[in-house]
Amino acid sequence: VSGDRDAVRGATEREPVHRPRVGLLITGSVGVVLAVCLARLPRGDNPLPPVARFAVEEALPRWHLTEAVNAVVYGFRGFDTFGETFLLLAAVVSVLMLTRSREGRRGWLGEEAAGRREQAETDPHSPPSRPERQARRAEQAEQAEDPGDAGDADPRATFGPETPDDVSLGAPMPETAESMTIVVRTAIRVVLPLLTVAGLYLVAWGYSPGGGFPAGAVLAGVGLLVYVGFGRRRIAPLARPGLLEFVELSGAAAIVVIELLGLVLKGSFTANWLPLAPAQTIRSGGVAQLFSVTELVEVGSGLLMVVFALLAARHDWSPDAGRDGARSGDTRGPRDVEGDGR
Amino acid sequence: VILGNYLASAALFCVGMYAVLTRRNLIKIVMGLSLMEASTYLLVISFAYRDRSTAPVLVSPPTGTSPERLARGNVADPVLQNLCLTAVVIGVAVTAVFLGVVVRVAQHYRTLDADRVRAMRG
Repeated sequence: VSGDRDAVRGATEREPVHRPRVGLLITGSVGVVLAVCLARLPRGDNPLPPVARFAVEEALPRWHLTEAVNAVVYGFRGFDTFGETFLLLAAVVSVLMLTRSREGRRGWLGEEAAGRREQAETDPHSPPSRPERQARRAEQAEQAEDPGDAGDADPRATFGPETPDDVSLGAPMPETAESMTIVVRTAIRVVLPLLTVAGLYLVAWGYSPGGGFPAGAVLAGVGLLVYVGFGRRRIAPLARPGLLEFVELSGAAAIVVIELLGLVLKGSFTANWLPLAPAQTIRSGGVAQLFSVTELVEVGSGLLMVVFALLAARHDWSPDAGRDGARSGDTRGPRDVEGDGR
Repeated sequence: VILGNYLASAALFCVGMYAVLTRRNLIKIVMGLSLMEASTYLLVISFAYRDRSTAPVLVSPPTGTSPERLARGNVADPVLQNLCLTAVVIGVAVTAVFLGVVVRVAQHYRTLDADRVRAMRG
Protein backbone atom coordinates (compact mmCIF):
# COMPACT_ATOMS: atom_id res chain seq x y z
CA VAL A 1 0.00 0.00 0.00
CA SER A 2 2.70 2.46 0.93
CA GLY A 3 4.71 1.83 -2.23
CA ASP A 4 1.63 2.57 -4.29
CA ARG A 5 1.14 5.70 -2.28
CA ASP A 6 4.68 6.87 -2.92
CA ALA A 7 4.27 6.37 -6.64
CA VAL A 8 1.05 8.32 -6.56
CA ARG A 9 2.61 11.14 -4.64
CA GLY A 10 5.61 11.32 -6.94
CA ALA A 11 3.33 11.56 -9.93
CA THR A 12 1.29 14.35 -8.47
CA GLU A 13 4.07 16.51 -7.08
CA ARG A 14 4.91 17.75 -10.55
CA GLU A 15 2.41 20.03 -12.19
CA PRO A 16 1.40 18.27 -15.40
CA VAL A 17 2.55 20.33 -18.36
CA HIS A 18 -0.24 19.29 -20.63
CA ARG A 19 -2.97 20.72 -18.46
CA PRO A 20 -2.79 24.43 -19.38
CA ARG A 21 -2.39 23.54 -23.05
CA VAL A 22 -5.38 21.22 -23.14
CA GLY A 23 -7.36 23.70 -21.07
CA LEU A 24 -6.51 26.52 -23.44
CA LEU A 25 -7.43 24.38 -26.43
CA ILE A 26 -10.82 23.36 -25.05
CA THR A 27 -11.60 26.81 -23.71
CA GLY A 28 -10.55 28.48 -26.92
CA SER A 29 -12.68 26.23 -29.09
CA VAL A 30 -15.69 26.66 -26.82
CA GLY A 31 -15.10 30.40 -26.88
CA VAL A 32 -14.98 30.51 -30.67
CA VAL A 33 -18.17 28.45 -30.96
CA LEU A 34 -19.90 30.67 -28.39
CA ALA A 35 -18.77 33.88 -30.10
CA VAL A 36 -19.89 32.70 -33.53
CA CYS A 37 -23.27 31.57 -32.23
CA LEU A 38 -23.89 34.65 -30.10
CA ALA A 39 -22.93 36.99 -32.94
CA ARG A 40 -25.75 35.56 -35.05
CA LEU A 41 -28.40 36.08 -32.38
CA PRO A 42 -30.83 38.98 -32.62
CA ARG A 43 -29.47 42.08 -30.93
CA GLY A 44 -32.46 43.61 -29.28
CA ASP A 45 -34.41 44.43 -32.45
CA ASN A 46 -36.65 41.36 -32.45
CA PRO A 47 -40.22 41.64 -31.12
CA LEU A 48 -41.06 40.32 -27.69
CA PRO A 49 -42.06 36.65 -27.71
CA PRO A 50 -45.79 36.05 -27.19
CA VAL A 51 -45.19 34.64 -23.69
CA ALA A 52 -43.48 37.82 -22.53
CA ARG A 53 -46.08 40.05 -24.20
CA PHE A 54 -48.82 38.05 -22.49
CA ALA A 55 -47.09 38.36 -19.11
CA VAL A 56 -46.66 42.12 -19.41
CA GLU A 57 -50.20 42.76 -20.60
CA GLU A 58 -51.96 40.39 -18.22
CA ALA A 59 -50.03 41.25 -15.05
CA LEU A 60 -52.32 44.18 -14.29
CA PRO A 61 -55.75 42.72 -15.09
CA ARG A 62 -55.06 39.28 -13.71
CA TRP A 63 -52.97 39.93 -10.62
CA HIS A 64 -53.41 43.68 -10.13
CA LEU A 65 -49.63 43.84 -10.10
CA THR A 66 -47.81 46.64 -11.87
CA GLU A 67 -44.55 44.72 -11.70
CA ALA A 68 -44.50 42.16 -14.47
CA VAL A 69 -41.47 40.29 -13.12
CA ASN A 70 -43.14 39.70 -9.77
CA ALA A 71 -46.31 38.65 -11.53
CA VAL A 72 -44.28 36.11 -13.50
CA VAL A 73 -42.24 34.84 -10.56
CA TYR A 74 -45.07 34.39 -8.07
CA GLY A 75 -48.05 34.26 -10.41
CA PHE A 76 -47.79 32.98 -13.95
CA ARG A 77 -44.76 30.80 -13.33
CA GLY A 78 -45.55 30.08 -9.70
CA PHE A 79 -45.01 26.38 -10.18
CA ASP A 80 -41.46 26.99 -11.34
CA THR A 81 -40.76 29.11 -8.29
CA PHE A 82 -42.38 26.44 -6.15
CA GLY A 83 -39.90 23.86 -7.45
CA GLU A 84 -37.04 26.27 -7.02
CA THR A 85 -38.02 26.84 -3.40
CA PHE A 86 -37.66 23.19 -2.66
CA LEU A 87 -34.40 22.99 -4.57
CA LEU A 88 -33.17 25.73 -2.26
CA LEU A 89 -34.47 23.76 0.71
CA ALA A 90 -32.65 20.66 -0.51
CA ALA A 91 -29.43 22.64 -0.84
CA VAL A 92 -29.84 24.01 2.67
CA VAL A 93 -30.42 20.53 4.04
CA SER A 94 -27.34 19.17 2.29
CA VAL A 95 -25.14 21.98 3.58
CA LEU A 96 -26.44 21.33 7.08
CA MET A 97 -25.73 17.63 6.72
CA LEU A 98 -22.23 18.30 5.43
CA THR A 99 -21.23 20.80 8.06
CA ARG A 100 -22.97 19.37 11.07
CA SER A 101 -20.43 18.81 13.77
CA ARG A 102 -20.56 16.35 16.59
CA GLU A 103 -23.51 17.23 18.72
CA GLY A 104 -23.38 17.79 22.44
CA ARG A 105 -24.25 14.71 24.40
CA ARG A 106 -27.68 14.66 25.91
CA GLY A 107 -27.28 11.66 28.16
CA TRP A 108 -24.64 9.50 29.73
CA LEU A 109 -23.98 6.35 27.79
CA GLY A 110 -20.64 5.08 29.04
CA GLU A 111 -20.04 2.96 25.97
CA GLU A 112 -16.29 3.27 26.35
CA ALA A 113 -16.24 1.70 29.81
CA ALA A 114 -18.88 -0.86 28.87
CA GLY A 115 -16.95 -1.84 25.75
CA ARG A 116 -13.74 -2.27 27.74
CA ARG A 117 -15.50 -4.45 30.27
CA GLU A 118 -17.14 -6.52 27.61
CA GLN A 119 -13.90 -7.00 25.75
CA ALA A 120 -12.16 -8.02 28.95
CA GLU A 121 -14.91 -10.54 29.64
CA THR A 122 -15.07 -12.16 26.23
CA ASP A 123 -11.49 -12.26 25.01
CA PRO A 124 -8.96 -10.95 27.44
CA HIS A 125 -5.93 -12.42 25.73
CA SER A 126 -6.98 -13.64 22.33
CA PRO A 127 -4.62 -12.23 19.71
CA PRO A 128 -6.07 -9.99 16.99
CA SER A 129 -7.01 -11.72 13.80
CA ARG A 130 -4.90 -11.43 10.69
CA PRO A 131 -6.92 -8.75 8.84
CA GLU A 132 -7.04 -6.73 12.02
CA ARG A 133 -3.26 -6.89 12.39
CA GLN A 134 -2.82 -5.88 8.77
CA ALA A 135 -5.17 -2.98 9.15
CA ARG A 136 -3.40 -1.75 12.25
CA ARG A 137 0.00 -2.00 10.60
CA ALA A 138 -1.19 -0.04 7.59
CA GLU A 139 -2.76 2.49 9.88
CA GLN A 140 0.43 2.97 11.87
CA ALA A 141 2.50 3.28 8.70
CA GLU A 142 0.15 5.94 7.51
CA GLN A 143 0.35 7.80 10.77
CA ALA A 144 4.14 7.69 10.80
CA GLU A 145 4.39 8.94 7.26
CA ASP A 146 3.90 12.63 7.84
CA PRO A 147 3.79 13.49 11.50
CA GLY A 148 3.94 17.24 10.94
CA ASP A 149 0.85 17.18 8.80
CA ALA A 150 -1.68 16.63 11.49
CA GLY A 151 -2.21 20.13 12.78
CA ASP A 152 -0.13 22.14 15.16
CA ALA A 153 -2.37 22.61 18.17
CA ASP A 154 -2.77 20.16 20.99
CA PRO A 155 -5.50 17.89 19.71
CA ARG A 156 -7.09 17.61 23.11
CA ALA A 157 -7.58 21.37 23.22
CA THR A 158 -9.53 21.25 19.98
CA PHE A 159 -11.26 17.95 20.19
CA GLY A 160 -12.22 17.63 23.79
CA PRO A 161 -11.40 14.97 26.29
CA GLU A 162 -9.80 11.67 25.51
CA THR A 163 -12.72 9.33 25.68
CA PRO A 164 -16.33 10.14 24.87
CA ASP A 165 -17.31 9.31 28.42
CA ASP A 166 -15.50 12.36 29.69
CA VAL A 167 -17.44 14.88 27.63
CA SER A 168 -19.46 16.95 30.04
CA LEU A 169 -23.14 17.15 29.36
CA GLY A 170 -24.30 20.07 27.28
CA ALA A 171 -20.79 21.42 26.77
CA PRO A 172 -20.94 24.57 24.63
CA MET A 173 -19.02 25.01 21.42
CA PRO A 174 -15.89 27.12 21.70
CA GLU A 175 -16.42 30.79 21.10
CA THR A 176 -14.82 32.01 17.90
CA ALA A 177 -16.15 35.38 16.80
CA GLU A 178 -15.36 38.43 18.90
CA SER A 179 -17.14 41.72 18.55
CA MET A 180 -15.52 44.48 16.51
CA THR A 181 -14.51 48.02 17.43
CA ILE A 182 -16.95 50.65 18.59
CA VAL A 183 -16.74 52.45 15.25
CA VAL A 184 -17.96 49.42 13.37
CA ARG A 185 -20.57 48.63 15.99
CA THR A 186 -21.98 52.15 15.93
CA ALA A 187 -22.10 52.16 12.17
CA ILE A 188 -23.91 48.85 12.20
CA ARG A 189 -26.37 50.17 14.79
CA VAL A 190 -27.18 53.05 12.46
CA VAL A 191 -27.46 50.89 9.36
CA LEU A 192 -29.38 47.96 10.83
CA PRO A 193 -32.84 49.56 11.11
CA LEU A 194 -32.45 51.08 7.65
CA LEU A 195 -31.56 47.75 6.10
CA THR A 196 -34.33 45.95 7.93
CA VAL A 197 -36.90 48.48 6.75
CA ALA A 198 -35.48 48.29 3.22
CA GLY A 199 -35.84 44.51 3.21
CA LEU A 200 -39.39 44.63 4.47
CA TYR A 201 -40.21 47.38 2.00
CA LEU A 202 -38.92 45.24 -0.87
CA VAL A 203 -41.32 42.46 -0.01
CA ALA A 204 -44.31 44.49 1.16
CA TRP A 205 -44.50 46.87 -1.79
CA GLY A 206 -44.77 43.96 -4.19
CA TYR A 207 -46.17 46.05 -7.04
CA SER A 208 -42.80 47.78 -7.46
CA PRO A 209 -39.52 45.95 -8.12
CA GLY A 210 -38.51 43.69 -5.29
CA GLY A 211 -40.10 40.55 -3.97
CA GLY A 212 -39.30 37.77 -1.58
CA PHE A 213 -35.93 36.69 -2.93
CA PRO A 214 -34.04 40.00 -2.71
CA ALA A 215 -35.81 40.89 0.51
CA GLY A 216 -34.80 37.57 2.06
CA ALA A 217 -31.23 38.16 0.99
CA VAL A 218 -31.28 41.64 2.56
CA LEU A 219 -32.65 40.30 5.85
CA ALA A 220 -30.08 37.52 5.90
CA GLY A 221 -27.48 40.24 5.40
CA VAL A 222 -28.87 42.04 8.46
CA GLY A 223 -28.30 38.91 10.52
CA LEU A 224 -24.77 38.63 9.16
CA LEU A 225 -24.02 42.25 10.04
CA VAL A 226 -25.03 41.59 13.62
CA TYR A 227 -22.79 38.54 13.64
CA VAL A 228 -19.81 40.41 12.22
CA GLY A 229 -20.21 43.46 14.40
CA PHE A 230 -21.24 42.07 17.74
CA GLY A 231 -19.91 38.55 17.71
CA ARG A 232 -21.64 35.25 17.79
CA ARG A 233 -22.95 35.63 21.30
CA ARG A 234 -25.35 38.40 20.39
CA ILE A 235 -26.83 36.58 17.40
CA ALA A 236 -26.82 33.16 18.99
CA PRO A 237 -30.41 33.30 20.32
CA LEU A 238 -31.62 34.18 16.82
CA ALA A 239 -29.30 31.92 14.88
CA ARG A 240 -29.67 28.74 16.83
CA PRO A 241 -30.55 25.88 14.52
CA GLY A 242 -33.70 24.86 16.37
CA LEU A 243 -35.35 28.22 15.73
CA LEU A 244 -34.09 28.75 12.18
CA GLU A 245 -35.00 25.25 11.10
CA PHE A 246 -38.49 25.72 12.46
CA VAL A 247 -38.89 29.05 10.64
CA GLU A 248 -37.54 27.63 7.41
CA LEU A 249 -39.75 24.59 7.43
CA SER A 250 -42.85 26.52 8.41
CA GLY A 251 -42.17 28.84 5.48
CA ALA A 252 -41.92 25.84 3.19
CA ALA A 253 -45.11 24.37 4.64
CA ALA A 254 -46.90 27.69 4.18
CA ILE A 255 -45.87 27.74 0.51
CA VAL A 256 -47.21 24.23 0.02
CA VAL A 257 -50.49 25.12 1.72
CA ILE A 258 -50.92 28.35 -0.26
CA GLU A 259 -50.34 26.67 -3.59
CA LEU A 260 -52.43 23.61 -2.76
CA LEU A 261 -55.34 25.82 -1.71
CA GLY A 262 -55.31 27.13 -5.26
CA LEU A 263 -55.76 23.56 -6.46
CA VAL A 264 -58.57 22.92 -4.00
CA LEU A 265 -60.47 26.19 -4.33
CA LYS A 266 -59.83 27.23 -7.92
CA GLY A 267 -58.99 23.97 -9.61
CA SER A 268 -55.40 24.66 -10.54
CA PHE A 269 -52.15 24.65 -8.63
CA THR A 270 -50.83 28.15 -7.76
CA ALA A 271 -54.14 29.73 -8.81
CA ASN A 272 -55.22 32.88 -7.04
CA TRP A 273 -57.85 32.27 -4.39
CA LEU A 274 -57.64 35.59 -2.56
CA PRO A 275 -59.73 38.62 -3.47
CA LEU A 276 -57.56 41.06 -5.39
CA ALA A 277 -57.08 44.45 -3.80
CA PRO A 278 -56.80 47.51 -6.07
CA ALA A 279 -53.53 47.85 -7.96
CA GLN A 280 -50.60 49.63 -6.32
CA THR A 281 -51.59 48.70 -2.80
CA ILE A 282 -49.75 46.34 -0.48
CA ARG A 283 -52.22 43.50 -0.90
CA SER A 284 -52.69 43.93 -4.61
CA GLY A 285 -51.08 40.69 -5.70
CA GLY A 286 -53.40 38.25 -3.95
CA VAL A 287 -51.76 34.87 -3.68
CA ALA A 288 -48.66 36.14 -5.49
CA GLN A 289 -48.03 38.61 -2.70
CA LEU A 290 -48.56 35.95 -0.04
CA PHE A 291 -46.18 33.64 -1.88
CA SER A 292 -43.64 36.43 -1.99
CA VAL A 293 -43.80 36.93 1.77
CA THR A 294 -43.43 33.22 2.52
CA GLU A 295 -40.56 33.15 0.06
CA LEU A 296 -38.93 35.91 2.09
CA VAL A 297 -39.17 33.73 5.19
CA GLU A 298 -37.82 30.74 3.31
CA VAL A 299 -34.91 32.49 1.61
CA GLY A 300 -33.93 34.63 4.58
CA SER A 301 -33.84 31.80 7.09
CA GLY A 302 -32.29 29.43 4.55
CA LEU A 303 -29.41 31.76 3.75
CA LEU A 304 -28.82 32.47 7.42
CA MET A 305 -28.80 28.75 8.19
CA VAL A 306 -26.34 28.01 5.41
CA VAL A 307 -23.98 30.80 6.41
CA PHE A 308 -24.03 29.93 10.08
CA ALA A 309 -23.63 26.25 9.33
CA LEU A 310 -20.54 27.01 7.25
CA LEU A 311 -19.21 29.37 9.92
CA ALA A 312 -19.72 26.80 12.62
CA ALA A 313 -18.23 23.94 10.61
CA ARG A 314 -15.54 22.44 12.74
CA HIS A 315 -13.24 19.52 12.32
CA ASP A 316 -15.59 16.63 12.55
CA TRP A 317 -13.16 13.77 12.74
CA SER A 318 -10.79 12.85 15.50
CA PRO A 319 -7.20 13.93 15.08
CA ASP A 320 -4.67 11.37 13.99
CA ALA A 321 -4.60 9.57 17.30
CA GLY A 322 -1.54 7.78 18.54
CA ARG A 323 0.98 9.82 16.61
CA ASP A 324 2.61 10.85 19.89
CA GLY A 325 2.37 7.32 21.20
CA ALA A 326 -0.20 8.29 23.77
CA ARG A 327 -2.72 5.81 22.46
CA SER A 328 -1.35 2.55 21.31
CA GLY A 329 -3.90 1.72 18.65
CA ASP A 330 -6.73 -0.17 20.32
CA THR A 331 -9.10 2.77 20.50
CA ARG A 332 -9.50 4.60 17.26
CA GLY A 333 -11.56 7.61 16.34
CA PRO A 334 -14.33 7.69 13.79
CA ARG A 335 -11.89 8.96 11.18
CA ASP A 336 -10.64 5.45 10.70
CA VAL A 337 -14.13 4.15 10.21
CA GLU A 338 -14.79 6.77 7.58
CA GLY A 339 -11.32 6.35 6.10
CA ASP A 340 -10.56 6.80 2.46
CA GLY A 341 -11.82 3.41 1.47
CA ARG A 342 -8.62 1.74 0.41
CA VAL B 1 -24.25 47.58 -28.13
CA ILE B 2 -25.85 44.43 -26.85
CA LEU B 3 -23.34 42.35 -28.82
CA GLY B 4 -20.74 43.54 -26.32
CA ASN B 5 -22.82 41.96 -23.56
CA TYR B 6 -23.02 38.68 -25.46
CA LEU B 7 -19.28 38.58 -26.03
CA ALA B 8 -18.52 39.60 -22.45
CA SER B 9 -20.70 36.75 -21.29
CA ALA B 10 -18.87 34.31 -23.59
CA ALA B 11 -15.52 35.60 -22.32
CA LEU B 12 -16.64 35.24 -18.72
CA PHE B 13 -17.77 31.69 -19.41
CA CYS B 14 -14.41 30.86 -20.97
CA VAL B 15 -12.46 32.33 -18.06
CA GLY B 16 -14.53 30.26 -15.66
CA MET B 17 -14.13 27.12 -17.71
CA TYR B 18 -10.38 27.60 -18.02
CA ALA B 19 -10.17 27.93 -14.24
CA VAL B 20 -12.20 24.77 -13.73
CA LEU B 21 -10.10 22.83 -16.23
CA THR B 22 -6.62 23.85 -15.18
CA ARG B 23 -6.67 24.85 -11.52
CA ARG B 24 -5.92 22.32 -8.84
CA ASN B 25 -7.14 24.32 -5.88
CA LEU B 26 -10.72 23.32 -5.09
CA ILE B 27 -11.64 26.85 -4.02
CA LYS B 28 -10.49 28.17 -7.38
CA ILE B 29 -12.54 25.51 -9.14
CA VAL B 30 -15.62 26.65 -7.24
CA MET B 31 -14.80 30.24 -8.19
CA GLY B 32 -14.59 29.18 -11.82
CA LEU B 33 -18.00 27.54 -11.60
CA SER B 34 -19.39 30.72 -10.09
CA LEU B 35 -17.94 32.71 -12.99
CA MET B 36 -19.65 30.37 -15.44
CA GLU B 37 -22.94 30.87 -13.60
CA ALA B 38 -22.48 34.64 -13.66
CA SER B 39 -21.91 34.55 -17.42
CA THR B 40 -25.31 32.91 -17.91
CA TYR B 41 -26.95 35.62 -15.79
CA LEU B 42 -25.42 38.28 -18.00
CA LEU B 43 -26.47 36.46 -21.15
CA VAL B 44 -30.07 35.92 -20.04
CA ILE B 45 -30.47 39.51 -18.90
CA SER B 46 -29.03 40.70 -22.21
CA PHE B 47 -31.52 38.53 -24.10
CA ALA B 48 -34.33 40.22 -22.19
CA TYR B 49 -33.35 43.69 -23.42
CA ARG B 50 -34.96 45.29 -26.46
CA ASP B 51 -33.76 48.43 -28.16
CA ARG B 52 -34.65 51.49 -26.05
CA SER B 53 -37.05 49.41 -23.98
CA THR B 54 -38.17 50.25 -20.46
CA ALA B 55 -38.16 47.92 -17.49
CA PRO B 56 -41.30 45.76 -17.27
CA VAL B 57 -42.59 47.90 -14.41
CA LEU B 58 -45.88 49.65 -14.92
CA VAL B 59 -45.96 51.63 -11.69
CA SER B 60 -46.36 55.44 -11.88
CA PRO B 61 -46.30 55.85 -15.66
CA PRO B 62 -45.34 59.24 -17.09
CA THR B 63 -48.16 61.73 -17.43
CA GLY B 64 -50.34 61.13 -20.42
CA THR B 65 -49.96 57.36 -20.46
CA SER B 66 -51.55 54.56 -18.50
CA PRO B 67 -50.12 51.26 -17.27
CA GLU B 68 -52.10 49.45 -19.94
CA ARG B 69 -50.56 51.48 -22.72
CA LEU B 70 -47.14 51.06 -21.15
CA ALA B 71 -47.66 47.30 -21.16
CA ARG B 72 -48.32 47.30 -24.89
CA GLY B 73 -45.30 49.51 -25.52
CA ASN B 74 -41.62 48.77 -25.66
CA VAL B 75 -40.68 46.82 -22.52
CA ALA B 76 -37.99 44.30 -21.68
CA ASP B 77 -38.85 40.61 -21.42
CA PRO B 78 -40.07 39.83 -17.87
CA VAL B 79 -39.95 36.06 -18.33
CA LEU B 80 -36.21 36.06 -18.92
CA GLN B 81 -35.68 38.33 -15.95
CA ASN B 82 -37.64 35.84 -13.87
CA LEU B 83 -35.39 33.04 -15.16
CA CYS B 84 -32.35 35.05 -14.13
CA LEU B 85 -33.76 35.58 -10.65
CA THR B 86 -34.31 31.84 -10.36
CA ALA B 87 -30.80 31.14 -11.61
CA VAL B 88 -29.24 33.51 -9.08
CA VAL B 89 -30.92 31.78 -6.16
CA ILE B 90 -30.00 28.33 -7.44
CA GLY B 91 -26.45 29.52 -8.05
CA VAL B 92 -26.11 30.71 -4.48
CA ALA B 93 -27.47 27.42 -3.15
CA VAL B 94 -25.19 25.33 -5.35
CA THR B 95 -22.14 27.38 -4.41
CA ALA B 96 -22.96 26.91 -0.74
CA VAL B 97 -23.15 23.14 -1.23
CA PHE B 98 -19.85 23.16 -3.14
CA LEU B 99 -18.14 25.10 -0.39
CA GLY B 100 -19.51 22.76 2.24
CA VAL B 101 -18.08 19.81 0.34
CA VAL B 102 -14.75 21.61 -0.06
CA VAL B 103 -14.56 22.28 3.67
CA ARG B 104 -15.11 18.60 4.41
CA VAL B 105 -12.64 17.49 1.72
CA ALA B 106 -10.02 19.83 3.13
CA GLN B 107 -10.57 18.49 6.63
CA HIS B 108 -10.55 14.88 5.55
CA TYR B 109 -7.61 14.87 3.16
CA ARG B 110 -5.80 17.86 4.69
CA THR B 111 -5.33 19.37 1.29
CA LEU B 112 -7.20 21.58 -1.15
CA ASP B 113 -5.32 20.11 -4.09
CA ALA B 114 -7.75 18.23 -6.31
CA ASP B 115 -4.97 15.97 -7.56
CA ARG B 116 -4.40 14.60 -4.09
CA VAL B 117 -7.99 13.69 -3.46
CA ARG B 118 -7.82 10.33 -5.11
CA ALA B 119 -9.93 7.96 -3.04
CA MET B 120 -12.34 7.58 -5.95
CA ARG B 121 -9.58 6.73 -8.39
CA GLY B 122 -9.36 3.00 -9.08
